[in-house]
Amino acid sequence: MLEIIQEYWLLLLIGEYPHGKLGGLAMTLIISFVSLIVTFPCAVLIALARTGKPGIIQSIAYGFVHNVRAIPLLMLIFWAYFAVPMIIGFPIDAAFTLIVAIVIYQTAYLGEIIAAGITGLPKGQREAAAALGLGYIPTMFRIILPQAIFNVIPGIVNQLTTIIKESSLGSIIAVSELSYVMLQVNSNEVTKPLQIFGILAAVYFVLCFALSQATNWLERRISSRRTGQVVVEAVA
Amino acid sequence: MIEFQNVSKWFGALQVLRDVNATVAKGTMTVLCGPSGSGKSTLIRTVNRLEPIQKGQITLSGRDIYAKDIDVNVLRSGIGFVFQQFNLFPHLSVVENVMLPLLRIRKQSRAQARPAAMQMLERVGLAEKANSLPADISGGQSQRVAIARSLILKPEVLVLDEPTSALDPEMVGEVLKLLRELSADGITMMCVTHEMGFAREVADRIWFLRNGTLTFDAEPTEFFSNDAHQDVRNFLSAVRKNH
Repeated sequence: MLEIIQEYWLLLLIGEYPHGKLGGLAMTLIISFVSLIVTFPCAVLIALARTGKPGIIQSIAYGFVHNVRAIPLLMLIFWAYFAVPMIIGFPIDAAFTLIVAIVIYQTAYLGEIIAAGITGLPKGQREAAAALGLGYIPTMFRIILPQAIFNVIPGIVNQLTTIIKESSLGSIIAVSELSYVMLQVNSNEVTKPLQIFGILAAVYFVLCFALSQATNWLERRISSRRTGQVVVEAVA
Repeated sequence: MIEFQNVSKWFGALQVLRDVNATVAKGTMTVLCGPSGSGKSTLIRTVNRLEPIQKGQITLSGRDIYAKDIDVNVLRSGIGFVFQQFNLFPHLSVVENVMLPLLRIRKQSRAQARPAAMQMLERVGLAEKANSLPADISGGQSQRVAIARSLILKPEVLVLDEPTSALDPEMVGEVLKLLRELSADGITMMCVTHEMGFAREVADRIWFLRNGTLTFDAEPTEFFSNDAHQDVRNFLSAVRKNH
């Protein structure tokens, strides 16, 4: 296993860059963070629509969330990869296709998380804003969303770990992210699949475990800040 | 002046206000009391349209608050409202809570809004807590901040929904003291409370509601006399037993 790491560590980290395309872990992280950053405002809009007044916009948001959640991400990637170029008449970059598919998919999930944050706030917060004479936009963007998003930060970070894992599906459409690079390594080193995919699993595990630990830390910080108490960690 | 004319309201099939007819004179304090579920809170929440009415009319300074040309947000910014549970915004500091209406409604800059908010906090005796978060101050202090926030836009009316009910007994006094001062300043107030001593001392009129009906509307001397309505006497007797 060590000799594989010694031989392929640079490919694993940055792909063929600078002599070829950027790839590997760097590409996985770029796809994940870009997807999350683009997903976030889309999810906020979906959450606002879902928690707003009943009407056509709420129905559209409801339809979007429930339809997207009913199909696998892989299906969405295939549609984006094969159908969109046919419709628009020119090919699009595979990494871009993957990001678009992840954004659409994750908007449905993250939108529901933020919507839960909004509906979980005490009714009095909206009433207090209304009683002051604040309109819908300042009420949502100054009062409700800052609290709702703060309360669901652990859920948002959790979705980032999901996105990191989902980015591995990019290997199906030849996006040179971490899994794709390791598939190439496996093609070269035909007889060492256990070691190669062991390394791949370890890299994903370290990334996602670190993020889940960060989520736990954030949860403790949030609860201590909101209750005004210092959390004393147990020392074993 | 606030005038209620045949105001009725239903929650589904349940009628919670029944043809309420009453007037709150400018610069006076009206205390609303009555048993739980009598419609006191619902009635004061109709004043700024937090609760819509289905029948009747409410006028504020002669204007129907449901008139088509009334902007509900403008109406509400002219009526201070204090909630039982304070409803401070927990992500904003004390001074930011008080500044918020100036920033978002009056469109003032932070440099303009902060001194005005500090002045208001001084008035309620909490200037030293300006940078604290709501989670770090007591219930009584939170309610005083909520009152400061509701007064920052200089409303013509201040409406208070059981402002001391969620407080520990030792904190009730500080809020009532502030309300006495405000009453002396001549602001028009409507206050739902079970603090009968406070009502006797400060109120210009006391309204008694039962099952959504305004059964008695009198000055404190009459309200606490033996001439009061039987419902009022029963209520006061029950209140005394519980204290």
